[in-house]
Amino acid sequence: MKGACALRVRSRIAAVLAMALACGPARAHLQTSGMGPVCDGLAHFLTSPEDLVPALALALLAGLRGAAYGRSAMFTLPAAWLLGSLAGLSAAVANAGTLGASFWFLLLGGLVVADAKLSLRSMTALCAFLGLVHGYLNGSGMGLSAAAIVAALGLTAAVFVLVSLVAALVVQLRAPWARIAVRVAGSWIAASGLLMIGWSIRGV
Amino acid sequence: MVVPGLARYVVAALLILLAGLPAAQAHESRPAYLEIKETAPGQYALLFRTPVLAGRRLPLVLSLPAGVKELRAPVVQELTDSLVERRWIDAGPDGLAGQRVDIKGLQFTITDALVRIELLDGRTVQTIARPSQPWVEIAATQAWWEVMGTYATEGIRHILFGVDHLLFVLGLLLIVGNRWMLVKTVTAFTVAHSITLAIATLGVANVPALPLNAAIALSILFLGPEIVRVWRGETSFTIRHPWVVAFAFGLLHGFGFATALTSAGLPPQDLPLALLSFNVGVELGQLGFVLLVLAMERSFRVLEIRWPRWVEALPGYAVGTLGAFWTIQRVALLIAAWR
Repeated sequence: MKGACALRVRSRIAAVLAMALACGPARAHLQTSGMGPVCDGLAHFLTSPEDLVPALALALLAGLRGAAYGRSAMFTLPAAWLLGSLAGLSAAVANAGTLGASFWFLLLGGLVVADAKLSLRSMTALCAFLGLVHGYLNGSGMGLSAAAIVAALGLTAAVFVLVSLVAALVVQLRAPWARIAVRVAGSWIAASGLLMIGWSIRGV
Repeated sequence: MVVPGLARYVVAALLILLAGLPAAQAHESRPAYLEIKETAPGQYALLFRTPVLAGRRLPLVLSLPAGVKELRAPVVQELTDSLVERRWIDAGPDGLAGQRVDIKGLQFTITDALVRIELLDGRTVQTIARPSQPWVEIAATQAWWEVMGTYATEGIRHILFGVDHLLFVLGLLLIVGNRWMLVKTVTAFTVAHSITLAIATLGVANVPALPLNAAIALSILFLGPEIVRVWRGETSFTIRHPWVVAFAFGLLHGFGFATALTSAGLPPQDLPLALLSFNVGVELGQLGFVLLVLAMERSFRVLEIRWPRWVEALPGYAVGTLGAFWTIQRVALLIAAWR
């Protein structure tokens, strides 16, 4: 029974991830902060909701599941993000577009709302997948250069710090209402995803 | 230890990243200064000061709006630490209002340009041109809080991109033994650098940039062996009273912070507000860094991360190694300048 449930969760995740992977042509979008490539990477992550919110949702999810999940997320996600960025540097410019970002919002927000009992392995795989996809999309917008590699390191550092802080914060929460508040935050993320999908479909 | 082993790995990684910044040498990213003073309706006197370090001038060129005429030939004066260019222009009956002055080349640097505009009607505008926006527009009146915001932002940027200052603060964090001592140490550093920042900015005392930078690097190097002593469970005056060391070296670092304001050559009437808001910005940036390090340390503890011994040692080695590197580099610059 438990195995079947886990299988169902995994197959649903796989289906949504497949949709999230459907990338369309778009534009490069690494910001120029004027303060060097490290800051360009940091600024890009912190000012791009399509990158920031899924990472935040994953940190919330990992935190809800406990310290081991938090540790897994804080190392796997940035590492995968860096690998994805480096792989994307020499690729043609790509972007998941609003629809791709919306699916991530919906998936990860939904998992937080449900307080999904993912196995540690599934969580690690989810982190790796999110990191690789988003890293690749970020990298493809930067172009192959030394500055882009440094920017990717800055971006990775931002992901690491965010996931560490948020996951640890949620792990510490013991009061039931506080955990509910985290799940409510997940519902907002999922709702934002739904709204974005609606806008995409209506062509707004 | 306020920052035990767990925190060190990430701090080291961040430091390595920060050390890769072009702005890693804080005092080599001194801002340029542009003053535009309306002397008669539509006529302006311009003063453009660009910093010079080790004989190299920032490659910045002023680009004025089309239609502007030079009233007389520009005058260029080379000083030891900067190059000053004076121009006198006629911008026509409408003046420069609503026009844009570009600072070409700024986008290829890591420095800012402080801009002060004085108009005949008594309005004074202060703003900053940055690499991401290398121009200024002559626009409306600026309220005092906007001036404060400008300099506070500059203070935050100065400390966050002055990696040497942050590395010194990190070294102190690695030495202090408990939270009360941390509060004392950070406060001592703050008080000390505020004193010398004020002294230097108000022109009471001045320290030449090259020996100052070498001394600041030496203060970081000084902390390296002290961190090793902490690891070994040994004690020293610095470990017992880190606030004294923070105060003493804080005096040096304050002169370093002041270069960002004094090299700009601000007019005396702006100094109190600029000094206050710049210092507030520096403190905010420093406090943010300390809180980030503490928050990361707490996160590692909550997530029960156990780092290998060599990883725990990285931040201490980063402080010592970078301190040694900057000391050698800056002393070499100093010797080269003396020759």
